[in-house]
Amino acid sequence: MFTDEALDSVCIKSLWRNSQQSAQDSRGCQTKAVHITEAQVQTVSTTISGTQTEPQYQVTEQLFQQNHEEPEPPGLKDFLQRVEDVVIRELVRNTRSHAFDGFQVNWEDHSNLVSCLHCLQHPSAVERGLHVTSVSWSCTGSVIACAYGRIDDGDWNTERSYVCTWNLDRRGLNPKQADLVVDVPTAVTALCCHPQQPALIAGGLYSGEVVVWDTSRTQDSTLVQTGMSADSHREPVYQVAWVPLQKKGEFGVLSASSGGKVLLWTVDSDQGRLVLSAAYALVRQQVPHSSSISYKARGSSTVGVTSLALSPWDPDTFLVGSEGGLLLRCSFSSQKPAAAPSEGQSVTPRAPAVFSFRPRSGPVHSIHCSPFHRNVFVSAGTDGLAHLHSLLQADPLLSLRVSDSYVFQVEWSPTRPLVFAAATGQGEVQILDLGRRSLRPAATIEQGAAGRAATCLAFNRQNAHLLAVGKTDGTVSVWQLSADLTEQSPRESSQLEQIANQVAE
Amino acid sequence: MLIEETLKRIQSQKGVQGIIIVNSEGIPIKTTLDNSSTVQYAGLIHQLVMKARSTVRDIDPQNDLTFLRVRSKKNEIMIAPDKDYFLIVIQNPSD
Repeated sequence: MFTDEALDSVCIKSLWRNSQQSAQDSRGCQTKAVHITEAQVQTVSTTISGTQTEPQYQVTEQLFQQNHEEPEPPGLKDFLQRVEDVVIRELVRNTRSHAFDGFQVNWEDHSNLVSCLHCLQHPSAVERGLHVTSVSWSCTGSVIACAYGRIDDGDWNTERSYVCTWNLDRRGLNPKQADLVVDVPTAVTALCCHPQQPALIAGGLYSGEVVVWDTSRTQDSTLVQTGMSADSHREPVYQVAWVPLQKKGEFGVLSASSGGKVLLWTVDSDQGRLVLSAAYALVRQQVPHSSSISYKARGSSTVGVTSLALSPWDPDTFLVGSEGGLLLRCSFSSQKPAAAPSEGQSVTPRAPAVFSFRPRSGPVHSIHCSPFHRNVFVSAGTDGLAHLHSLLQADPLLSLRVSDSYVFQVEWSPTRPLVFAAATGQGEVQILDLGRRSLRPAATIEQGAAGRAATCLAFNRQNAHLLAVGKTDGTVSVWQLSADLTEQSPRESSQLEQIANQVAE
Repeated sequence: MLIEETLKRIQSQKGVQGIIIVNSEGIPIKTTLDNSSTVQYAGLIHQLVMKARSTVRDIDPQNDLTFLRVRSKKNEIMIAPDKDYFLIVIQNPSD
């Protein structure tokens, strides 16, 4: 019944377990043959050269060259051994001594009063109600020149005006009559006397012309002028300054106007013209912006220049203040071309602005660099404050309230590093001393009725006691300052250094 | 160098601004100031020392100048004279 049987095995394929072997496909490719070339180069001849700068004062350098080959001067060692102890003992005793504390010597007459020496005016200018727009002392310190015009006229005007000079050292000085009167076809807005030749005066006019007068000529005093050419300014020239040129002893005239141009002229007296030698145009798009200051460009793109200052320490730097409150540091040697539209000028204008300080809220009327510290300058404008700046940072070091109205001009004292004077719109001249604890002015010069604005002032560099102030009633007053405002005390330079080194937060 | 050490010792005193060593003809030999100031000091002070010495000897021929100090508003100049050399030290005592 039961039999053995052999059956074939049955194979059932797994549904879930697949072969792990992936499908393989092989292909091959080959790049085209690569081309290789070799070449060699060999120098045939070589040259070596070097340069070396030489110290400037070669002649005196050789005097005290530490020549180790030369034998020491005989007897020097013994001499020093003999005197060393004596000298060190005296030095130490000197630092401890109180013998000279508070000891002061009177070499000159000390006047403690500020007094008015002269009150000069030109009668026909006073009759016509002209204002004094600018005063300047000559390089000898004895002649004062003043320019008449108007400061409150916004409109174009063609009034004639004058430039008058008085020589204060002359015996027959008549305050009501000027020694020299020059008739000028339009109002004069800027004036500057030549730093070396006492007869030359440069002036800027309301019409945009720049003129240089030679007061030693008896006939026509005009030495050179720009005339109305494509090169000259089209807007009133607010500041002129004499700038030393490359060649020693020669000076050029730098003029700045509210049209945004700063032009450098050279004097060509044979042809009677001023030749344009360099032009700088300030355009808002090219003004450098500091990162912390936001400044929205509005209105026209030119930056109207209202004040200019040269740095006595660095011949390449000049400072510019504008109508919109911008304060810029510029460089004469800048090569960037300006983005201003070309007006057919003979010299291509360049953009000089290098650094921008914190902008003010109104036009900057005056800037002046300190003659005692290379980085410090003071600026003032219509906000009634005088700001002390350092060239190295954008924010001001100090801001002092000078008056409640406009400040028209500030200038540092030529003898005291911490003192500067400011001419205000209320008619007073405030003299501020940074060395005093309180920030109220050290002296205030007021004269006559209030309501006459003091528009300009100038310190006399030769005779440090004199200060000239020009006012809107057409008078120029010369004041003698008291001794404590003109004599330097020993620690002032280091105090100014300390103020300059403060860093604004 | 003994000379350099001596000068360093004097220079390190409080308030010393400069040292000049001048020979008997008024020519500066060693200095720690810049060249133009050194030349100016050397010329002027040599004349002053000669004048001071002749003043002292005219009053009393047996007397002689030993030390000269010139005190000014800003600093003090000390001069140690000798037959062949002068040592000039400029110090600001209030520094």
